[in-house]
Parts: sequence; structure tokens; C-alpha cells
Amino acid sequence: MHSAHPGLPEFDYVKPASLAEASAFLKAHVGEARPFMGGTDTFVRMRDGFWKEKYLVDVKHLEGMQDITYDPAAGLVIGAAVNMNRVVASPLVKEHYPLLAEAAHSVASYQLRTRATIVGNICNASPAGDTTGACIAFDARLKVHGVDGFRFEPLQTFFKGPGKTVLQPGDIVVSIHFPPAPRGAQGKYIKLGRNAIGDLSIVGITVLGYPDASSSSGYRFKIALASVAPTPFVPAPAEALLAEKTITPALLEEAAQAAMDACKPIDDVRSSAVYRKAMVRNLTHKALVDVWGRLSAAAR
Amino acid sequence: MAVVGQSVLRIDALSKVKGEALYPGDINLPDQAWMKILFAGRVHAVIRSIDTAAAEALPGVLAVLTAKDVPVNEYGLIMPDQPVLCGPGSAKPYADHVRFWADQVAVVVAESEAIAAEACKLIKVDYEDLPAVFDPREAMAENAVLLHPDRGSNVFCHYRVRHGDVEEAFKKADIIIEGDYQTPAQEHAFLQPEAGISYIDEEDRVTVVVAGQWTHEDQEQIAHALHLPLEKVRVIYPAIGGAFGGREDMSVQIVLALAAWRLAQRGSKRPVKIIWSREESMIGHHKRHPFFIRTRWGATREGKVIAAEVELIEDGGAYAYTSTKVLGNATVLAVGAYEIPNVKVDAYSVYTNSIPNGAFRGFGGPQAIFGAEMQMNRLAEALGMDPVEIRMRNILQEGSTLIVGTPLPKGVSMPEVVKRTALQAGWIQTEKGWQAPEPSAPSQTHLKRGIGFGCGFKNVGFSFGAPEQCTAKIELRGKAEIEEAILYHSAAEVGQGVHTVMSQFAAEALGIPVEKVHLVASDTARTENSGSVSASRMTFMSGNSIIGAAEAALEKWRNEERPAVATYQYRPPRTTPMDPQTGKSEPNFAYGYVAQAAEVEVDTETGEVKLLNVICADDVGQAVNPQQVQAQIEGAIVQAAGYTLMENFVQKEGRVLTSTLSTYLIPTILDIPEKVDSIIVEDPDPIGPYGARGMGEMPYLPLAPTIAAAVHAATGVWFSHFPLTAETVLDGLGRIEK
Ligand SMILES: Cc1cc2nc3c(=O)[nH]c(=O)nc-3n(C[C@H](O)[C@H](O)[C@H](O)COP(=O)(O)OP(=O)(O)OC[C@H]3O[C@@H](n4cnc5c(N)ncnc54)[C@H](O)[C@@H]3O)c2cc1C
Repeated sequence: MHSAHPGLPEFDYVKPASLAEASAFLKAHVGEARPFMGGTDTFVRMRDGFWKEKYLVDVKHLEGMQDITYDPAAGLVIGAAVNMNRVVASPLVKEHYPLLAEAAHSVASYQLRTRATIVGNICNASPAGDTTGACIAFDARLKVHGVDGFRFEPLQTFFKGPGKTVLQPGDIVVSIHFPPAPRGAQGKYIKLGRNAIGDLSIVGITVLGYPDASSSSGYRFKIALASVAPTPFVPAPAEALLAEKTITPALLEEAAQAAMDACKPIDDVRSSAVYRKAMVRNLTHKALVDVWGRLSAAAR
Repeated sequence: MAVVGQSVLRIDALSKVKGEALYPGDINLPDQAWMKILFAGRVHAVIRSIDTAAAEALPGVLAVLTAKDVPVNEYGLIMPDQPVLCGPGSAKPYADHVRFWADQVAVVVAESEAIAAEACKLIKVDYEDLPAVFDPREAMAENAVLLHPDRGSNVFCHYRVRHGDVEEAFKKADIIIEGDYQTPAQEHAFLQPEAGISYIDEEDRVTVVVAGQWTHEDQEQIAHALHLPLEKVRVIYPAIGGAFGGREDMSVQIVLALAAWRLAQRGSKRPVKIIWSREESMIGHHKRHPFFIRTRWGATREGKVIAAEVELIEDGGAYAYTSTKVLGNATVLAVGAYEIPNVKVDAYSVYTNSIPNGAFRGFGGPQAIFGAEMQMNRLAEALGMDPVEIRMRNILQEGSTLIVGTPLPKGVSMPEVVKRTALQAGWIQTEKGWQAPEPSAPSQTHLKRGIGFGCGFKNVGFSFGAPEQCTAKIELRGKAEIEEAILYHSAAEVGQGVHTVMSQFAAEALGIPVEKVHLVASDTARTENSGSVSASRMTFMSGNSIIGAAEAALEKWRNEERPAVATYQYRPPRTTPMDPQTGKSEPNFAYGYVAQAAEVEVDTETGEVKLLNVICADDVGQAVNPQQVQAQIEGAIVQAAGYTLMENFVQKEGRVLTSTLSTYLIPTILDIPEKVDSIIVEDPDPIGPYGARGMGEMPYLPLAPTIAAAVHAATGVWFSHFPLTAETVLDGLGRIEK
């Protein structure tokens, strides 16, 4: 039946002094405790009665959580608690990873982005997450602190289903690490929603392209699709086509078609599956044309 | 005029901006208890039994009320076809039937909202499900399951118009245009979900503080259900967060009264409070009626429409609400703002197991006008004629006869609003007639632009012989000069600004500054019956009542009475009901007239439609407060743009799938047109206060077909249903592979 008048249920606010303490607490309270960043998913889920945690564990203040750093050799590190407005405004991000800034900017409104984080977006593991695709395209990894200490998790194998990830009890993502962006990379994120601001994606299309001497086409393209599968989706056949064959306008169309053929989206109140598929083709094509235009201009 | 015609500051602006104005949910009283309503969660069933023992036993529960606790278990604005609480044990036949998902079954009163909600879950209801019907066309069938078995048919209203000789006229037509259209449901999405508080006042009245549109009607419905004399019930409206027709029918009013009253009988005089969540609001109150429209128009080669046949099927949902009145309006407007000599209309209201449908800004007008304007635009295309030119050849004008066989009241400005809109939009008048402008150029080839035109008109005030009046009381205080004028009036300030307009009327009529007018509003114990804020009527009706009261009070003032107090009841010219066979009637005493042009850009790769700009000329007779008039025009256009392009109320077998504002989207600031050009036309209504006409609904009326025409101009495709979501449009363009 329909929910009672919604309000946040009661919970305890826990603020551990160290990552070790935080991981230990989370492990000791499996199913009852949850870490949070901006809380923009967490508080909504709790208010609506879907999540019933007894403890919310605030880890935003812990080491490295609030920093953005860049090193030409090692790449970019964004602390888990860095909000999206900071990502959008960061000169480092704008210069080296403009696709990431573009994707972050597509998330809801300025107000929401003062709270929402990229790591929260990823850990929430919604297939509709708008920033996940850019992170996948840049081959980002998550630095995770668990009861056994630190480790890295690549995004390719991170997602297990809607709301499900490989994270284990006690795990806390501390930061997200981007290797140096490929030289000459160009990117595009296209979000299609039912309104101009705030709706979740009907589809979200991430395309990143860059020159690559090791592939037959001389280029490599990374494509990631939001809202077309239970997890963020990479249409491998489309990527393969663009690596293997000489890039022509016809190939861009063929690759877009391959992306469409590779995904099996569902019907929901936002869109039908057939419309989603058509949009994967049309908007992947649009993004490819845009990215290819800039790549070939740079090559001239 | 000194005050009327000025954009004086809204009298409620400061308190609302500062957060001081109290809306129903903001009001708390000492010792208040909380109420929660148990909804059925079934679309069609008989309730065999209700076991409330476990709920009553829960600590903190004060009362659990069901059908057997409601003295007269029925209500309804135009016919009492809805149980207050569904279930066995009341005298009303079939009150044990549940007919839609959010039918109310029980109320729990408890120490807290959480306890009340918990107790609702402990109520055991034994249902026997019945077959259900959701499509009104199926519900009309002979063998369809009956929602109200005592009525013998799901069709609960049928209007007929027989005007001229349609058969003969079609024979003479050079061209015939047939159309099959559908219009969707719409949610009001007012800011403030339903809420209220009830208590027994110092004079032993069952008192309900709530948001509504007509205090005295709420009072009557509560008194009827509780079987109390009218004066034992009191209804007060505090600040109201929007209405748009969505508060015309009961939501929490009767059950709040019931709860406070039953508690008091059990010796506990505690206030009872309820606040609906957004979700409860979305599933709990009625929506705009979906219509199915089948129509056929015949015209001469010169573009004169000589015959029209229209079938209107209105989905009433589970209960009547205001369906029959909505249908009446739609019937009068069935061929739009045109004088057509031969017309036949058959219009039906039909029960289904969907959420009830009822009043919503435009009240049947947007639906009927969609059908009519689609026909006119398609006719223009078929004849290769300009859409403004063809309108001018058929348009209603001074002395025109309506399809119900009587002339329009004087002051018909239809040609004027069409002309003003057309000129502003760039149409030119040539020797060959009106000629449309070219749309502006899009930035890319997959973007297509088009301009559309539409127009309409609608009644101001109650129609078809419904009793119509409005009463004001004015008290003048002071010695030599009037120091203060107290205006007593029931008109509901739902956000539209009527209290400011009323103060302006009083100041103007009394010849005093508006600051000297003090308003006592919307309390059945202190203010007289004003009728509802609906039908674009309150500026017109309150104005006339206030002018009358002011004149009478001034008369007493001149006779040295101190304070000088006068009450005045305004009654407009009489209207008459439709003849059952022919529809012949004098349906209304006043009208408002409107025309619009819109430019859109269609993305042919995604189907997204962007509304670039809208031009709207609306004849308001006299703009009492021009800034508020402009706000009404802009607000109506934004709401109608949502209706046309975005708002998609989805029900699956009677269950609402879009019960939140994240699934049911309304336009955001970035979705609304860059520019709305409001042309305020002031062609006085001969019987309006200082010439004012009603206008709250008019700018809403023609936008959907105007946009549909613009989309057609851009893409070559006519859309016969909406909302024109990106997916619907791309599908219509034949660009989605199935
Ligand atoms: C009005 C509104 C509009 C929105 N619009 C969009 C939109 O346009 N696009 C979009 O993609 N999303 C949107 N969202 C969803 C949400 O804002 C994003 O997913 C956001 O990025 C979540 O970040 P957060 O920091 O607020 O996450 P939180 O709510 O703090 O966390 C989300 C999840 O991740 C887990 N988590 C968070 N941090 C960690 C960590 N360090 N280690 C391990 N687990 C962690 C939490 O336990 C929780 O399960 C919207 C939400 C709202 C309320």
C-alpha cells in the first residue's frame, strides 16, 4: 500500500575518527549501517521507507575524502566526498577530463550538485547514473578501504545489478582514480530526459574517442550507455567496429546501429524499450559524429 | 479609475514571502490528535467485513471509524453517488462497494501520525473482487459490469444538440473532414497537498479548517453526511496552496469533521489533524477528464463550415464529481468558437474504475476545443487556406447564434482576439486574405520549426440554470471620513489573487485607498455564500457583489449610520438547462474570448518538442490588476504546455503508476517557453464589474491544438492525441522500429 506521510525515520548518526574505525563499525553492523556522501540517494530512499538503516556513518571528513589532485604521470584523484559542483568547476577537470565535467553538469540542478558526489553516483549503482559512463570511459578505479585495508576496484567489474556492487560489508570508497587521459581525447555526454532538468535519463550516452596507433582504424572509442540494462552498459561490438574499420560517416552509422542492437532495455513509466533502443542509435550516432568531427579536425 | 486597473501589490504578498501565512498543514492546536485514511487498494470489490479490533487495540489509537459511523454515508458535488467510507453497515445501498483504488475505507485517529499509519495496517478488510472496466467506450456496452448497480447503466449523463439540418447540410458540403481524437488525464499538482484540522468550536460547531474552493458547499456536504443542521458545521479556509479545480470536491473535509465529532461524542474534545503525502494527494483526488472525440465537419470550397457532427465520450472515473457540468461545457463548445448552422452533438459521461475525473481549469473546454481546432486546422490544410483566414470566415461575432440555438450575450470579441494574435505573430492581411508568417530558421537540419494557431471561448460563471449568486458584506467605520472598510466575503484565495482584486473593487467603489480596506474572508460563521472559485467567475461575481454592497453601505453612511453596514447579493441574468432532445438553452450569462499562436521546434532524431514562444490575446474586459492578469496568462500557458507536451498520468488497470512528482513530471523553469507575449484586450463586458470578464481559464483553452498545429507545420504529421512526449512524436513520425 502507499506509504505513510513520508519523513526521515529515526537513525543514529555515527562519525568515526578513522577509516579503520569506520570499516570496523560497518562490518560489525551488517545490514544496519551505511556510509553516505551527499546523501541525495540515501535520504530519499530512507524517507520513502525502502532503506531502514539504524546507523548512517559519516565518513566525509576522513583523510583524502575532500581532495582533488592531478599529476601528469599518475592522473586525477577525486576524493569520494567532493561534490559535483566542485568537479564541474575544477580547472584540472575542465582541462584534462572535460567529459567528466560535462557528465557531472548534467546531473539535476546546481542545488542538488552541492551535495551529490560522483562516488555516491557510482556506489548507488543505478543504471541511470549520469557520471558513471565517463568514469568507465576513462578507465577509472575506486580506492576502497575495507576491514583488510586498502585495495583498488576497477569499474569494469564493479557493478552487479541495480543497486548492487562488489563492495563488501566494511568497505568504504575513499577516492576515484583516473589514469592520465589519452592524448588528444575528445568526449561527449548526451542525456535524454523527459524534461530539461532533474529527470532521470531515458538514455545517457557517453562517447570518448582518441587516436591510438595500436588499432587498425588508428582510433579507439569508448562508449557507455545509461538506462538500457541493469548495470551501466558498454556496447562492445560498436567499440570493436570503430577500432577495426576505417572511420567513415557510414561506419559511424553502423557503429550506432551496433550499439542499439547490443542493448536490451526495458519499458517503464519514462519510456518504452523500443524508444530507448532508437535513442541509443540516434544519440550514439550524434555523439560519435560530434566526437569524430573534433578528432578529425585535430588531425588536420 | 483610481484603483481598478492598477497593479497594486498583492495583499497577501508579504505574509507569503515571509513564510508567515499559514496553510492548513501549518496549523497546530494544543492536544491535537492525528488522522490517517485507509485507502482500498482495490479497483472494484465488495467489502464483506471490516475487522478493526487489532487496530483499536494498538496503544495510542483513539478511534477507528468505518462506514457504520457515518450517519448519511454519501456525498458528491452534483449527485451523492460516493460513500464517505466504503463498507458494510450503512443504510446507503451499495456503500459496501469499492470502485477505485483510493476509495476511502476507514479512518484512524491516534496520538501520532505514525501510530495512525501503523493501525491502518492492522485493519482487516475482507474484499470480494469484482470485474472492472477502464475504457469508457467498453463501459458503455450493454453487458458491461456496472459500477453503480442501482443505476442500470454506466452512462450517467447524455446531452443532445440538434441544431439545423445536419443530414441535408452534409449533402451540400464540398469537403468533409473526419477526426478521431483523444485527450489525456491531468494532475493538478498544486503546491500544497490536502491537509486540514478539525475541532469543536466555542459555539459547539464541528469546525474544519481546510483548503477548498467553496466554503459553503463544503459546509453543506459535511452537514449532509453527518446529518447535522447547517449551522452546526463551520468551514474556514486559511491560506490555500493552489487549487485549479482540484479542491472542488471533497478529499479530507468530511472525514475530518466526522473524526472530531465522533471523538467529542465519546467525551474527548480534541482537534484532529491530517496531512496527505504527495502520493496520497496524487492518487486521492480527481484528475482532468480524458475525452474520446469523434467528429465530422462539412464545409464549402470557400471555407465556410456548414455542418458538424460530434460525439464526446467523457471518462468520468468511479464517481460523478462535476462530470455532468464538465460535459455540458464541452457540449456547448463542441465546435469551438465558430458559428456553424447545422450541428449535431451527442455527449456522454461514463463511469469506469479509473480514478474519478472532475474539475480542472478549463472544465471541458480544453478537450472540446482540441477536437474543434484540430478539425479547423485540418480543414484549412485540406482547402489550402490560411488558418487565420478560414477562422475569420466562421468566427463567432456580435449577434452570432450558439449551437444551442440562442445568441451569445452582448460583447463578443472573438474576431478581435484572433486579429490581435495574428498581427502580433506576424500574419499579414493581403487582398487575398490573411497570410501566415514563415517560422524562424532552426540551427540544424534535423530540427524543424513550425507556427500554429488556435482560439477558443468559455463561459464565465455557473451554467445551465444552476443557482448563481454571490454575496458581500461591507462595514464602514469612522466619523466624518471613512477610516476603515471591512469587507466580509467567502471567496477562496487559492493563489490567483482574488483577495487583492476584491480589495481593489471595494476601494474603487467606496472611493478610498486600498490600504483602508480590510478583508474578513472564507469563514462560514462570519461570511456569506460566494459560490466557488471556479468557472473563471470570482472576479466577475465578487466584483458585482462588492460594488452592490459598497453602494448600499455608502447610502447608509450618508444617512449617518455608524458603522454603516450593508449586505448585497448579486444575481446575474438567468440561464436555462439544455432541452433533453435539442439542447436548446441559454447556457451562460457571460463569456471570455482568447486566441493563441505558438512556434515550436521539433527534433526529428529524438522527437522532443520545444515550445519556443507563445502569443496570447485574451479579452479580459477590464484588467482589474494587470500584473495578475499577465501572471494568469503565463501560468495558464505553462500549465497547458505541460498538458500538451509532458504530463503523462499513467494508470494500469486503475492503479496509478505516476503517483510521485518524479514519475509524473510537470514543466520546470527550463521547459517553459522563452517568451510568452500576453496581449491584454479590454473590450468591456456590459454586465461585468467595471467591464471585467473572467479570465483564469481562457488562456489555457486553445494551447494543445495550437501546439499540435505547429508540430504539424514543422513535420507534416497531425497528432490526434497527446501529451506529445518525445516518444509519441518520434513514433508519429514513423521513426521508431517496432
Ligand atoms: C532531486 C534529485 C535529482 C537527481 N537527479 C539525478 C540525475 O540527474 N542524474 C543522476 O545520475 N542522479 C540523480 N540523482 C541521484 C543522486 O543525486 C546521485 O546518484 C548522486 O550522485 C548520489 O551521490 P551522493 O553523494 O548524494 O550519494 P549518497 O546518497 O551519499 O550515497 C549513495 C549510495 O552510495 C553509497 N555510498 C556513498 N558513498 C560511499 C562510499 N564512500 N563508500 C561506499 N559506499 C558509498 C551509499 O551507502 C548509498 O548506497 C538525483 C537525486 C535527487 C534527489
